[in-house]
Amino acid sequence: MSDWHALTVLMDDKLVTLNAAVGLLRRRNLPIRNVTVGPALADGTTRLFAMIETDGGTAHRIAELFRKVIGVQDARVAPADEAVLREAVLVRLKPAGGDAYAELLDVLGLYHASVVEESPDGLVAEVSGPASFVLSCVRALERFGLLDVARSGTLAVDRPVPGPAITQPSEMPVS
Amino acid sequence: MSESHVYSGAHLTCKVLLEEGVDVVFGYPGGAIMPFYHALPEFPGLRHVLVRHEQAAAHAADGYARASGRPGVCVATSGPGATNLVTGLATAYMDNSPVVAITGQVSRAMMGRDAFQETDIVGITLPITKWSVLVERPEDLADVLHEAFHVARSGRPGPVLVDIPKDIQNSRIEYRGAGARTAERRHPGRAAGAPDFEAAARLIEQAERPLILAGHGVILGEAMDELRAFAERSGIPVITTLLGISGFPEDHPLHLGMPGMHGEVHVNRAIQHADLLVAVGMRFDDRVTGNTAGFARHAKVIHLELDPSEIGKNVPVDVPLVGDAKVLLPHLAARLRPRRRDEWKAEIHAQQREKPADHYRGGLSPETILQSLHDSTGGRVNVVADVGQHQMWVAKLFPYRRPNQHFSSGGLGSMGFAVPAAMGVWLARPDEPVWAISGDGGFQMNMQEIATMRQERLPVKLAIFNNGYLGMVRQWQQFFHGRRYSQTPIWSPDYVKLADAYGIPGWRVEASDEIAGAIDAALRTDGPALVEFVIEQEANVFPMIPPGATLSDVIESAPAESVSA
Repeated sequence: MSDWHALTVLMDDKLVTLNAAVGLLRRRNLPIRNVTVGPALADGTTRLFAMIETDGGTAHRIAELFRKVIGVQDARVAPADEAVLREAVLVRLKPAGGDAYAELLDVLGLYHASVVEESPDGLVAEVSGPASFVLSCVRALERFGLLDVARSGTLAVDRPVPGPAITQPSEMPVS
Repeated sequence: MSESHVYSGAHLTCKVLLEEGVDVVFGYPGGAIMPFYHALPEFPGLRHVLVRHEQAAAHAADGYARASGRPGVCVATSGPGATNLVTGLATAYMDNSPVVAITGQVSRAMMGRDAFQETDIVGITLPITKWSVLVERPEDLADVLHEAFHVARSGRPGPVLVDIPKDIQNSRIEYRGAGARTAERRHPGRAAGAPDFEAAARLIEQAERPLILAGHGVILGEAMDELRAFAERSGIPVITTLLGISGFPEDHPLHLGMPGMHGEVHVNRAIQHADLLVAVGMRFDDRVTGNTAGFARHAKVIHLELDPSEIGKNVPVDVPLVGDAKVLLPHLAARLRPRRRDEWKAEIHAQQREKPADHYRGGLSPETILQSLHDSTGGRVNVVADVGQHQMWVAKLFPYRRPNQHFSSGGLGSMGFAVPAAMGVWLARPDEPVWAISGDGGFQMNMQEIATMRQERLPVKLAIFNNGYLGMVRQWQQFFHGRRYSQTPIWSPDYVKLADAYGIPGWRVEASDEIAGAIDAALRTDGPALVEFVIEQEANVFPMIPPGATLSDVIESAPAESVSA
């Protein structure tokens, strides 16, 4: 049964490795939501995270395929509902004054957002949480005049799925 | 610490090749690889074979690797030289052949500027190699090259491409020898749990109708003896896939034949009736399984496989045994009591068909040709098959009794493979005759390599099964496309004259009583020789499982509506 899985790959901080990893994902031709790439904790290591829609066996095999890529240090998958998923957003807003400014601060407070920069050109706020939560925040801020929105994409901390699922193939089309 | 020496990058490349045990490289010079070719004459231990097209270099390196078990090396310049390698590398990738490709690249200062003959060969080959790498700094060169050989031959083997910018080939590089590598190897692989031999042994003991499916992994892992011992102890009949052919002796009473799309009827029926499949070093390719929904529905599956990503990929697996077949098989065999399973074997062989006398409707019978080749060589011959109808005949009709004597492009199915790959096979085994068997289509894809054979004195024997068609496609058009032979009739030159133009002897065989004489004459020739066999034009490969059908849906003769009046 297809379901969303959280795929985490740790790899050498090299574009050619990232290129190979993205190519591997692309070739599977699976529904993919949200590919996030950023530095991992260890120096010289990149962390790629993707949400893929597939059955458990295929998800596990994809992790095994990543492990075969030279430059990949580790790869693991977990059902998305077993992973902790969060997204961060930076929002640049038009300058606000008077009552509008007080109202803006109320909205930011409601979403536990914080102001990280304020200037005559406007204000930059940050908010984090589940994707639906941060998008709700962005919608609430629209009426104050959005100048730019930068989403981090979903980040995850997961638990690996147990091994036995590896022995079951996905349904294959007849060709 | 060993003493260091300073080399040019090109000299260092040659030195590392020697350190890795390379004795022959297949290549073609050009602008961005000229420093390598400048250094090469100073390394007489490296025999260079000048091919006529870089694709042939990759296929030849592949053939060398398959026959020797050691990495084959091909060399090309940047741009078109490198891109011409692509089909050969993809072929090696699909069949897990350890090939190391070295390409010249434009100098680093010119990269990314669309320089003359610049192409992103690393990017192009990423999906068709185990590793594709650009040497970014002179000091990395030796480590990367050593690593390339390690990656190519380790685990599940495969091709590696090393792209070396011209300025790095010209750099002065300090080198302390192979033992002073600085690169840290990181190949995580899989922390596999202990194989559950007990569970596998229980399934085998309980099974009444078990089969062994032996694939290329048996040959790659040099597990032929272990497979035989396992089969003999367990009494389980052995089926060999296309690339598993010659991994198990075909005169052995437990040998059944090839499965799948063109497998024999009794072999496929056995699979469909089996209650257990012990798959060894094979990947349940769709040409083996047909429609997986109807594949071996009564069978449990034990899968011995080196690569964990293959487990459960195409068919459900009950007991995975992840690891090297050469190591795993004796452990499994030790847990089994000896069995004969005579009833099951008799049941299988009761389904075996006698071939009709007029199977090939006049013309030369492929069976007679291949039997004659066997008789003339006493079976001591390496057979390299191209892709198409003749590939299936060569797979099914030659009695392979020696280990690893059959070579073909299985996964990618690359027409044009046989002629150049045979050069590599002969260089790996110069004491044994090598026959490249092609159709008239595939032969014309790389027949320019006759010049290479002539110049390099490679005594490969070339057989052409000429039916005037791209035969396998024509067969599909006959069966499934209403005999619309769209673009499958194919003209050939006069191959005897072609052979003469290249300065090698050639024979055209049109009658059965000429077959043995021509084969013997070719074998007596001290150098390459060519024999054209004129085959019945509409000969077909039987039996056949239609694409998308199950192994039970067999075609044993041409559908009535597809036969000409």
